[in-house]
Amino acid sequence: MKRNGSRFAAMILTGAMAAAMAVPAVSYAGDTDKIKIEYWHCNSEEQGGKTVDELVQKFNESNDHIEVTAKYNPDMYKGLMQNLQAEAATGSYPAVVQIGWAFLDYFSNNFSYTSPQDAIDKFDSEDSTFLSDNFLPNVLNLAVNSKGDQVGIPYSLSNPVLYINKDLLKEAGVSEDGPATWEEVAQFAKAVKEKTGKYGFYMQEPADFWAQQALIESNGASMLTKDADGKAQASFASDEGAEAMQLVADMVKDGSALHVGWDEGCQSFIDGNCAMLYTTIARRASVQDGAKFDVATVKSPVWEGKDRKVPAGGCFLAITAQGDDQIQAAWEFEKYLYSVESMAAWTIGTGYVPPRKDVADAENGLKDFLAENKMMNAAIEQMDGVVPWTAFPGDAGLQAEQLLLDMRDQILGGQASAKDAMTSTQDQINELLNAQ
Amino acid sequence: MADQKKQSVLGYVFLIPSLAAFCVFMFYPLFYTVYLSFFDWNMIQPQKKFVGFQNYVILLRAPNTWKILGNTFWYIVILLILNWALPYLVSFVLSFVVGRMRGFYKSALFLPSIISLVVGSILYTWILNPVSGPVAILLKPLGIRLPFWTKTDGWVIAGLCIITTWKTFGYNLIVLLAGISGVSPEVIEAARLDNVPLRRIFFDIVVPMSSATGIYVFIITIVQGLQYVFTPIKVITQGGPNYASSNLIYMSYHNAFTLFKTGTASAASVLTMLLFVILLLLEFRFVERGVYYEN
Repeated sequence: MKRNGSRFAAMILTGAMAAAMAVPAVSYAGDTDKIKIEYWHCNSEEQGGKTVDELVQKFNESNDHIEVTAKYNPDMYKGLMQNLQAEAATGSYPAVVQIGWAFLDYFSNNFSYTSPQDAIDKFDSEDSTFLSDNFLPNVLNLAVNSKGDQVGIPYSLSNPVLYINKDLLKEAGVSEDGPATWEEVAQFAKAVKEKTGKYGFYMQEPADFWAQQALIESNGASMLTKDADGKAQASFASDEGAEAMQLVADMVKDGSALHVGWDEGCQSFIDGNCAMLYTTIARRASVQDGAKFDVATVKSPVWEGKDRKVPAGGCFLAITAQGDDQIQAAWEFEKYLYSVESMAAWTIGTGYVPPRKDVADAENGLKDFLAENKMMNAAIEQMDGVVPWTAFPGDAGLQAEQLLLDMRDQILGGQASAKDAMTSTQDQINELLNAQ
Repeated sequence: MADQKKQSVLGYVFLIPSLAAFCVFMFYPLFYTVYLSFFDWNMIQPQKKFVGFQNYVILLRAPNTWKILGNTFWYIVILLILNWALPYLVSFVLSFVVGRMRGFYKSALFLPSIISLVVGSILYTWILNPVSGPVAILLKPLGIRLPFWTKTDGWVIAGLCIITTWKTFGYNLIVLLAGISGVSPEVIEAARLDNVPLRRIFFDIVVPMSSATGIYVFIITIVQGLQYVFTPIKVITQGGPNYASSNLIYMSYHNAFTLFKTGTASAASVLTMLLFVILLLLEFRFVERGVYYEN
């Protein structure tokens, strides 16, 4: 009998296990009357993640019908795009997502989204001029895709600036106000290397080509040109483009510039082993907190006698919510994020330049903050040089971006000259673009 | 008779749960991967385009594939040294040479196994920072400069292997220790009385007598090691510089979730699987025979 009993127990156990597997995953919401939406962002702890959580928490506390969950996506906008793609394959979507500028076309071609004006007209019609009232046209234009649709609203705006270690520059006997041109950057870096033995310069190398776009487009090259039929062709392998990339490659070669990962490079600047750091203004807060020396920012260097061109970094917010009540909730949350107070908190937490009007001067905005944080000024002063971040059109865009990264590795690693690597990469990208 | 039949039916009933799990999480994905490898698809297009063997052709023609295959080989070699040969030696030393503090060494070496490899990777980015990390600072007075390993061909593989070893060394050590403890102490004592050198005790007595465990760790070092290495690749180098740190497993991932070419990614997975099947067959054919199983 005893034996039978244990056998019976074993059978029940087996049955229970099988049953557990057969039950589909159902999540039971605690508050059934609240609309739950997800907000996907790319802000790691040191890049504004804390502010995201604070903003979301404040929003959740201030209303009784929507609950927002913030979800962090590693590996920046590319990482978020990958996760979104995987999520969409399962048929579910977050409500509000951050989309990097480089993915503007890819996103709008492949995902179903609600244009901000459509959401406003449908759910917020008494405030139908919200966009034109609060945003400059050239800023709004950054989130317009190649077909002319307003895909989202600019949210995080950044541009690259040059962070300088004034103490090191002084020690090297060069102007502690920093270089104004790329030629001077090379010269200063060399002086630092020779006089102090430390590194002179590091240019950010994450999984995008953003900073390098500023370098080569400021020299008069352009990443992408439209030919007579309106077909886009890669065009960065001009003499100007090659000259610009070769300048950095030569600095790496003679040891005055670093060629390491982005985090390693920023660490080296912050602990005083590298005199100049060319990276996004979005890193201001972490540089300012970490640096134990006289640190400042200067505007992105230009090439002797040429105009400055800095790509807009950061992202816009797009609504990917499906279904009316989700879209309405998404818009309500988004509108809250664009309020003067939220925008000010966002700028303080991240170092992004506010995309909407009236934030910089408002008392409840950034007036006091900007008076104290002069490192922001370089980024705000060069807004006239902001150009869109090049997005290669169509489905080949992702692969084109990858080819640019491979090219950068080849050039800075010294495996190929800038001219050769850029010419062959340009041919490969154009082949991809022509094939689609 | 009827009782016997009942018994065997019951046996199958007990098998159902694990069989179901295998079907859902292993066999179905496996066949679906093979299926996908014949299509051109980016995971969201409603239509998959049938392209036959084209994905395989593209893959075998790409010079990067061969570079990545070479990288995979070096990953295996380095991981076998650091994660199989070395813990084998250390567990021998711990069992028969070191007398004291055995428990301390065991737990100290095992500790990193329970820490996430993502955390480890971020930690090591700082520890091994060639300019300002603690290792660089310690080596500076000795006149040694760390290479810019994250951006240098060759060094990048070594660096990522070191991080992976930090994670997996302890587990392999414990398993090998268990294997070696099966070698009866009388044999070792007898050898010692005859003044057999330690080197020969290790190679001629301990290794043959613990070979069942040894071969197990050998195989999981290759198979799991390549998967573990994936994490530091993803966190630190994303396969760069210029594919110098990519391996077969990262290549599949990169194609599928960075470039969204599920066809090429699946083809890469299928080829990887075939490669491992061949390796395992070779292992069964030539190595398994010489392995000593106690029971």
